[in-house]
Amino acid sequence: MRRFETRWGILMALPAILGFAIFTIGPMVASFFFSLTDWQIGGSPSFVGLDNYTRMADDELFWKSLSATTYYTLGAVPLTLIVSFAVAMLLNQKARGLSLWRTIFYLPTLVPAIANVVLWIWIFNPDFGLLNSLLRQAGLPTSQWVYSEQMAIPSLIIMSTWGFGNTMVIFLAGLQGVPRHLYEAVSIDGGGPLRRFWHVTLPMMTPTIFYNLVVGVVGTFQVFNQAYVMTEGGPNHATLFYVYYLFRKAFTESEMGYASALAWVLFMIIMVVTFLMFRNARRWVYYEMAGAR
Amino acid sequence: MNRRDLFKIGGLAALGAAAAACGSGGGGSSGAKQLQFMYWGSTFEQKAVEKMLRQFEQKKPGVKVKALFTPDEYDVKLNTLVASGRVPDVGYVPMAMSFRLAEQGKLVDLFPYLKKYPQLAGYLPDAYLWYGQDKLHGVATANEVELLWYSKQAIADAGITPPPADAASAWTWDEMVQNAYKLTIDQNGKHPDESGFDPKQIKQFGISSSITYGAAWYGFLRSNGGDFADEAGKRCLLDSPEAIKVFQNLQDLIYKHRVMPGPGQLAATGDDVPGTNILLKTKRVAMVVDGHWSLLDMNESKTDYGLGVLPKYGEPFTATQVAGASAVFAGTKHVEEAVELFAFHNDPRYVDLYKQGLWMPQEKKYYEDQASIDSWTKNETHPPEFRTAVVDFARDHGVPTFGNRIKNMTTISSDVLTPALQEIESGKRPAAEVLKATAPKITGMLQGWQHTQAL
Repeated sequence: MRRFETRWGILMALPAILGFAIFTIGPMVASFFFSLTDWQIGGSPSFVGLDNYTRMADDELFWKSLSATTYYTLGAVPLTLIVSFAVAMLLNQKARGLSLWRTIFYLPTLVPAIANVVLWIWIFNPDFGLLNSLLRQAGLPTSQWVYSEQMAIPSLIIMSTWGFGNTMVIFLAGLQGVPRHLYEAVSIDGGGPLRRFWHVTLPMMTPTIFYNLVVGVVGTFQVFNQAYVMTEGGPNHATLFYVYYLFRKAFTESEMGYASALAWVLFMIIMVVTFLMFRNARRWVYYEMAGAR
Repeated sequence: MNRRDLFKIGGLAALGAAAAACGSGGGGSSGAKQLQFMYWGSTFEQKAVEKMLRQFEQKKPGVKVKALFTPDEYDVKLNTLVASGRVPDVGYVPMAMSFRLAEQGKLVDLFPYLKKYPQLAGYLPDAYLWYGQDKLHGVATANEVELLWYSKQAIADAGITPPPADAASAWTWDEMVQNAYKLTIDQNGKHPDESGFDPKQIKQFGISSSITYGAAWYGFLRSNGGDFADEAGKRCLLDSPEAIKVFQNLQDLIYKHRVMPGPGQLAATGDDVPGTNILLKTKRVAMVVDGHWSLLDMNESKTDYGLGVLPKYGEPFTATQVAGASAVFAGTKHVEEAVELFAFHNDPRYVDLYKQGLWMPQEKKYYEDQASIDSWTKNETHPPEFRTAVVDFARDHGVPTFGNRIKNMTTISSDVLTPALQEIESGKRPAAEVLKATAPKITGMLQGWQHTQAL
């Protein structure tokens, strides 16, 4: 009976296994091979060893794209974490119309990526966009937003925070899992809301924060849509994100070998960063059940 | 066997059926020669192209043409088809990619067919695309030319004479700027040269002319005696005094004269600004430098437009041949039929897009022979000034745009040229400073002009 179930189990999982093997592992192996070649679509690949990788060291735009992406990640991830955590705390109160509020804050996440971008193009418009209108009314200096080299990435960071709904929902679930008796214990000892937050909420939430941090970093390193739809990497390469640069090399300039190498370097970067985060996590992430990590 | 097992098997059978259905697609009707024609365009163009293909099938019984309409991500999809060896028979090819595919032997050399199909030998010299001596891989799908469009109402309101429609009386650059002043109005009705003019609240801009789109400024550059690269195509000339003047003048339109919208002021990024017809109809802008293809939208949206020739420095010039390429793909099973379809697909006799104002013909006779000229321009969609402002202007003052003729242009453009032009557009640094830093970088990437020759 057990063997019978095993066999059926594998059979049922086969579509997923095959899909992973054919559409993920297969292309990964192929792209690693191509990363060692000089290959233009239509031609035949010629083996060049590590040339594509050494070429990156001298590729000004490789470094530019890496720094633009890192800048974006360093801004977008912490800001999204803070905002979504704060809103999740608010939505964890007992208040009237709570589910309505939760829906409203989650709603931006449901807007399709492209529609979102188009909407923000209007918000950022220097002449009659929402942001500059507000600034003007408040008597503050206005900005060129995505049209300025200096402000382009900060603008996109602000825009990314808008879609914090997913992160917020995960925080909300985490907050509801914080044991009530711990809060009661703090209250009995005479602790106020601040102490409750500092000594109970925050430590108990560290696994959730850690999860959102890792997912956020991995996701933002692959940022693409905004550059592709909104800025085309401009102005003056200010938003030349790594994956957009890779895409351009692969599909408009048809340098598949170099693009594959770029993809592998990004993969390694993300792997190393994730590894470092996990190592560092031992110092600040608290698991109630030891060994559950 | 219990009910659960039945369920499982049923699921598997459904999966199998779906897999089988996937495998059996793509079979053509038996007997007929099947061709595939791949193209991009608006839904409007789709209708016209479909109609052309049906006419071709009528004229060639026994040949069926399947249309592969690919409005988005054309280069990505075509690259994928090339990589998997499933290319169409005939189709559009993005210009830079066409030279690459030709060199890789993926496109049919049309040179041997010129004798057999005389129509192929009658195109404008600039239309042909060569990848080597006597090696011809296609033509630009249609001709196009840059023009000065204007809102008749805005011109009348300002009380100025409209932009001239013939090259002999073209405005000089300075005349254009003076008129742009009169056409630029802020919310209080003030012009940029009046005190109290508010550049943050401009209701109507005098002119719009793209700084980042090469074809828009190439005519000005040539008119001022400059060029993108030297004759060998190995040295970039954008740091010449002639080029610097042209780009400084463009930058000045935004920041010194304040008669042209800067980045973002037309509510869009990059080149995705609203259509020229919308800009003129809403009088957001009074004059716009844009391609001839806008004619279709002008008529569709019933804009009260006029068209003139571009302003000049020395001899007037305008950029032509800005479209993508058309080609026959190597590996087609029916080369003769494919070449016939190639000659057919942009023939004004069968494609409505010429009469409707989107395309300009590539065959020489449509610019020289009166009856042929009339065949595509004597209709409601083409205004009276079209003959001098477009047909004559393109024939006598057109220069093929550099963007389609310089090797390695895709990389030069995205890696160096476009960012530099964005810097000029942003007004942070003067044109001379930007161009002097940029030209040597481009020189390092230049690989020469594409081959050209007489037939």
